[in-house]
Amino acid sequence: MSRVPKEVRSWIYDFFYNERSAAYLKIDARQCIEEKGGNLEHYGLSSLRIGKPVADQLEFMEGLLPCPELPFHMPMMELPGGHVADLHLFGDNGSVWLVFLDATPERDHQQRLQQKAYEMTLLQERERQLNAKLQSTNEALRESQEGLSREYRRAESLLLNILPASIAERLKADEQIADSHAEVSVLFADIVGFTERARSVGATTTLAILNYFFKAADLLSEQYGCEKIKTIGDCVMAVAGLPTARSDHAEALANYALELREAARREHFAGEPLGLRIGIHSGPIVAGVIGKRRFVYDLWGDTVNLAARIQKAAEPDEIRISDATHQLLGPEFACDPLGETELRGTGRVRMWRLRR
Amino acid sequence: MLQKKICMLGGFAVGKTSLVRRFVQSIFSENYLTTVGVKIDKKSVAFPDKTVDLILWDLAGEDDIGSFRVSYVRGATGLVLVVDGTRPATLAVALTLRERVEAEFGAMPFVLLFNKSDLADRWAISDGEIDELRQRGWQIYLTSALSGEHVDDAFRQLASMVAN
Repeated sequence: MSRVPKEVRSWIYDFFYNERSAAYLKIDARQCIEEKGGNLEHYGLSSLRIGKPVADQLEFMEGLLPCPELPFHMPMMELPGGHVADLHLFGDNGSVWLVFLDATPERDHQQRLQQKAYEMTLLQERERQLNAKLQSTNEALRESQEGLSREYRRAESLLLNILPASIAERLKADEQIADSHAEVSVLFADIVGFTERARSVGATTTLAILNYFFKAADLLSEQYGCEKIKTIGDCVMAVAGLPTARSDHAEALANYALELREAARREHFAGEPLGLRIGIHSGPIVAGVIGKRRFVYDLWGDTVNLAARIQKAAEPDEIRISDATHQLLGPEFACDPLGETELRGTGRVRMWRLRR
Repeated sequence: MLQKKICMLGGFAVGKTSLVRRFVQSIFSENYLTTVGVKIDKKSVAFPDKTVDLILWDLAGEDDIGSFRVSYVRGATGLVLVVDGTRPATLAVALTLRERVEAEFGAMPFVLLFNKSDLADRWAISDGEIDELRQRGWQIYLTSALSGEHVDDAFRQLASMVAN
C-alpha cells in the first residue's frame, strides 16, 4: 500500500468505508466477538455483543468456524435483515476478521441479468416439453384415427358381404328397406348327392367343396351383375334385376347359371365332377332387410317359392327354368321343353331345360 | 441452544426460495425471482423434548453445476435437495450437487423434495422412479410451495434427523 499515492489510498478507503458501508468484526479462538467496528448499523448489527459467541448472534456463522480455507470470500449474502453483503474472512494469529461490504446494487444488477437468462431457458424448456406433448398427442390421434378407419373399412366390407352395396348405403342412412321389384329372376342351385358324398369324404373335404362352390357363386355374381343373396346348407340363392332394375335380368341369370354349372364341373367331389341342380323363375318379389343388429337381406314372394320348387325338380346337372323365364330369353339361349309338371303347392307348371 | 445449518440445493427455478418462504413465512408468490448468491433465513422447529433452530442457506440454483460454490456448505449438518417435478433433468442436478457436497464434507442427512406437486398435468416424474429412490431408504416428499403440501413435514423430518 505504501507505493500507492496517499490520494488513491484515501479514495479507496473512503470508497469502501462510505460507498460500500464497510464493517468488521474480530472473532477470537473461542469463536466469540472480540472487537467490532465500522458501519455495522447499516447491516442492522449494531447490537452485537463483545465477548459472546458469534454464531449465537450471527446465524450464518453457525458451523463456519474454524475455517481451514482462510481467507474465505462469500459474495452476495442476503442477511435476514434484507441487506446484501460481500463477506470476507481472513485469519490473524488464531483470530478471524470478518469484513462486510455492501453488495446490494451488484446483487440486484446480477439478479436482473440472471433472471432474464433463466426465464429464457425456462421458456425454451417449456416450449420443448409442449412440442413433445403436442407431437405425441398428434401421434396418438393419428393412430386412433387409423384404427377407427380400419374398423370402419372392416365393418364396411362385412356389411357388403351380406348386403348389396346400395342397400348397405341406405341401411347406414337408417332407412327402412322393403322394396317391391316387379321384374327379377331368382335362382337356386344345390349340389347333387351332397349329403351322401359329404358323409363319404369327411368334413374337411366337404368344407373345401362348399367353399369352392360358394366362392365361384360370389365371383360369377360380380361378373354377371347378379346378387348372391344367401346360402342355405349346400344351396345358393341368387337374383338378377336387383337392387337396380335391368330388363335382361333373365339372360344375366341364365348366363350366370351356365357358368356356375361349368365352374362346378371343373371340381371333383367324392371322385366325380361336382354336379348342380339349378332352377330359375322370373316375376315380382319383395326385397328387404330384416333384423336390427344382425342384418339379413332377403327376398320374399311366390316367385321365390316357385324358383325353389323348380330347382328341387331339376335333374342332376340340369338348369331348369320356368316358362316365364324362358319367354324372356333371346334366341341365343338353347332350351328344351319339358312339358307340364306337377309341382307341390303350385299345380301344373310348364318348364324348360336350358342347355347353353 | 440447538442451532443447525441446512443448505437448500437444486437446479435453478425448482422452488428452493419458495419452499423456504412457505416454511418460514407461510407465504407464496407466483412471481419467479432468481436467487443470486445466498439468502439466510431462520426457523425454529419445536419437538416435545427440544427446539431446533434451522439456519437455512438458500443457495443460488445453478444451471451450470461446475460453478456451484461447494464451500458455502461448510458447517452444514443437513441438506434439502429440491427437484422440480415438471422438469425431470433437475433430479440429476440435485443428485450431482449432493455428490459434490459429500465428496467435500462427507455424508450428511438430507431430504429429497419433488416440488410443484400442484402442477399435476405437467408432472413428469413417474411413481416408479420415486419408489425406487425410496427403496434406498431416502426421505422423499412430494411438495408444493404453492399449496404448502408436505412442506412442513419435510423440514420437520430433516430437523429431527439433524437434531439427533
